[in-house]
Amino acid sequence: MKHYEVEILDAKTRDKLCFLDKVEPNATIAEIKNLFTKSHPQWYPARQSLRLDPKGKSLKDEDVLQNLPVGTTATLYFRDLGAQISWVTVFLTEYAGPLLIYLLFYFRVPFIYGPKYDFTSSKHSVVHLACICHSFHYIKRLLETIFVHRFSHGTMPLRNIFKNCTYYWGFAAWMAYYINHPLYTPPTYGDEQVKLALIIFLFCQLGNFSIHIALRNLRPAGSKTRKIPYPTKNPFTWLFLLVSCPNYTYEVGSWIGFAIMTQCLPVALFSLVGFIQMTIWAKGKHRSYLKEFRDYPPLRSPIIPFLL
Amino acid sequence: MAASGSGGAGRADNGYGSQQPRRRKGPGALATTYLVIYNVVMTAGWLVIAVGIVRAYLTKGSYHSLYYSIEKPLKFFQTGALLEILHCAFGIVPSSVVLTAFQVMSRVFLTWAVTHSVKEVQNEDSVLLFVIAWTITEIIRYSFYTFSLLNHLPYLIKWARYTLFIVLYPMGVSGELLTIYAALPFVRQAGLYSISLPNKYNFSFDYYTFLILVMISYIPIFPQLYFHMLHQRRKVLSHTEEHKKSE
Repeated sequence: MKHYEVEILDAKTRDKLCFLDKVEPNATIAEIKNLFTKSHPQWYPARQSLRLDPKGKSLKDEDVLQNLPVGTTATLYFRDLGAQISWVTVFLTEYAGPLLIYLLFYFRVPFIYGPKYDFTSSKHSVVHLACICHSFHYIKRLLETIFVHRFSHGTMPLRNIFKNCTYYWGFAAWMAYYINHPLYTPPTYGDEQVKLALIIFLFCQLGNFSIHIALRNLRPAGSKTRKIPYPTKNPFTWLFLLVSCPNYTYEVGSWIGFAIMTQCLPVALFSLVGFIQMTIWAKGKHRSYLKEFRDYPPLRSPIIPFLL
Repeated sequence: MAASGSGGAGRADNGYGSQQPRRRKGPGALATTYLVIYNVVMTAGWLVIAVGIVRAYLTKGSYHSLYYSIEKPLKFFQTGALLEILHCAFGIVPSSVVLTAFQVMSRVFLTWAVTHSVKEVQNEDSVLLFVIAWTITEIIRYSFYTFSLLNHLPYLIKWARYTLFIVLYPMGVSGELLTIYAALPFVRQAGLYSISLPNKYNFSFDYYTFLILVMISYIPIFPQLYFHMLHQRRKVLSHTEEHKKSE
């Protein structure tokens, strides 16, 4: 078997960082990354971006050396992606925060509202319901992170955890402050409004969960395969007929429901910001699908049927 | 089954953003014409403000309360700068939309949400301080852009743009901060732009606290922008020096 030689150069300075000889032709990029880490232990595989061209795109871990457009001496360019953190860690941290923070406000722990309100309880039933819904939402997210989601990427840049936690924790505190405030004003249309909002919220939570399960089932454990998602027997997944990312559609719906339930402007603003971000993600995902699959259903739009 | 094909360098990575190299196209002939007109008009506008300040000073004999003489052109031309955000958004100017939006909005904020809204500060000398700093800066900046677009940039303008900020920037920041500080008691007193609980949207906003947070935000932001400009100065002016030496 003819062996390959692989030299790894720094993408910016073109310095020779590493020379690997006797590399198997069927070696994957992941294996090459592991070999590179041996000589440069500070650059663990998750931080490595290897590419064929210094300004090109990163090669994938699954790519096989002999299938790449290289001769038997391959030159790869290395870029340091910076400190990395696992997606699971980020998700767990960013979701645990709002769960706990909201409860601090709900139980009115000292130093938030005046001393005469410490550890008191709201007299409005909607405030208790809101706490249950908010907590349920984040517990669901935590459990999905542990048991349901199958991530394409193991890690993301470390600085994301600070950015993401600021966003989630900040908004959670802001919302929770008003909903659990002693001067909170319940919804204008009373129980009717709360009932409708709860139905929307639960419907969308179920929908969102159904999509997460459907997406999980598209991908075998430990793999990174990508397939076109299709509606299943579960009616909540029928939204796939009209939309590429129904999980985001349902998520926006859940927060709209919560906003109607609490009639709280900060919740509406959080829903709006989330909607903008999820639309950006959905458009990106939709574009990826279209690029990757020739037979992608043409009726689908990224996040809102027919509109967005 | 998703096949990655023969080349590994396939599609954009999720966690790292799209990495396609972008070829920056300059503005077309129509856009260039528009931008030249825009920058000429803005240069003229700020010159009007400059002349207005000088005339008012000569007429009144003192430098106090000159704001009223240039209030209208100041509002008009400073607000007009919002167009620059669109220029970036439409790609006819190669700057970042976010950065430009931030800079223009902070000027517009000071003009309308502080100076215009809190009438009691309009007599303050701090207003004159930032108006002068802005006026000189903008006259130079807009003429710099005009000449650059016409590919005929006099070294003097380039030098002025990258040197005078050393004094003008701290001057402007001082004027701005002092003005906001002067506005505080009046904002508190009038409850300006503030809403308190209880209300049916379960929301509150305290403009007084907001202004204090704005003032605090100058602490991290000002040094970053200032040192960025100093860095740019070194790059731009030394580059020209090398060119001149090689001639």
